[in-house]
Amino acid sequence: MSVRLAEGSYEDARAMIGTRAEVEFADHAVTWALIKYFCAMVQDSNASYWDPDFAEAQWGGIVSPPAMLLTWVMAPDWQPQSPEPKTLLLARIPLPDPTVISVETDTELFRPIRAGDWLNVEETLVDVSARKSTELGEGHFVTTEAVFRAGDGTPVARYRHVLFRYTPRKPAGQ
Amino acid sequence: MIPGAHYDQRWWDDVHEGEELPRIDDEITYRRVVMNPATTWDYFPGHHDPEYARSQGQPTIYINTMHFMGFIDRVATTWAGPRSFIARRKMSMRRPIFAGDTMVGAGRVSRKYTDSGGATVRHLVELEVTVSNQRGELCAPATVILELPARGAG
Repeated sequence: MSVRLAEGSYEDARAMIGTRAEVEFADHAVTWALIKYFCAMVQDSNASYWDPDFAEAQWGGIVSPPAMLLTWVMAPDWQPQSPEPKTLLLARIPLPDPTVISVETDTELFRPIRAGDWLNVEETLVDVSARKSTELGEGHFVTTEAVFRAGDGTPVARYRHVLFRYTPRKPAGQ
Repeated sequence: MIPGAHYDQRWWDDVHEGEELPRIDDEITYRRVVMNPATTWDYFPGHHDPEYARSQGQPTIYINTMHFMGFIDRVATTWAGPRSFIARRKMSMRRPIFAGDTMVGAGRVSRKYTDSGGATVRHLVELEVTVSNQRGELCAPATVILELPARGAG
């Protein structure tokens, strides 16, 4: 299995710095069903995610864990009108290295995200580092920043993500 | 009320700087890691395909970014309560949590302050949260800012 990442040179990637991707609109609203499954995975018993009466009184509705921000703009891998999976901007940066690992995130929330919200996201490529060597291998740190907005255009969150696009030093056990 | 759900709330007034958050130990099985793609729709193969993880130089599959963030928020709000608003969370991932590891969450209050810059005064606490593994190795340090309810603040 491999990962679909744009290929190119460091210069190609540098030339993309400042690129703002087109706004991606969610295919579906924030849904309580998936919130429950996520909270079951994390084992988080916070009443804001489980008790509609409490959540309504406190927040105006069931709240999405802030950690699910990206989930709400993911699209199904296959749809009749788009049989190819959509990818985030961070997968579309042309670089020579075959794999990625996330290294840093910074999330700022401006208001609670609630079940029923329809989010959209606007991503910008902020930086591509020079080639660096780490324990895992050699590659580039890629920084993107995303603004999430609600259906009415109000910003609800800002999300900065750094990932390491690298060539593994050697597969484990070899 | 939902039995077992967490309702206890800490008030901003009662928090003191240096206070320790309760430690949370969480055993991460293969099943839990595979729940990552199921519940976050992140199909990156490092979270479900051990062979792919090995090709990356990792021993096996590991939890995704959203699981780290969710666990950090769980550590913060289990201490603070469900009326806390997670205003900001910065984290860095230094070492993965692999299937078979135990994730250990801990934290302390690093700052208690108010912000009068907006329309209302916000009562905030800053937490230093750490996620380590069962060998005590630091995997993901984080800074979390929570807005808490305050007595007499309306």
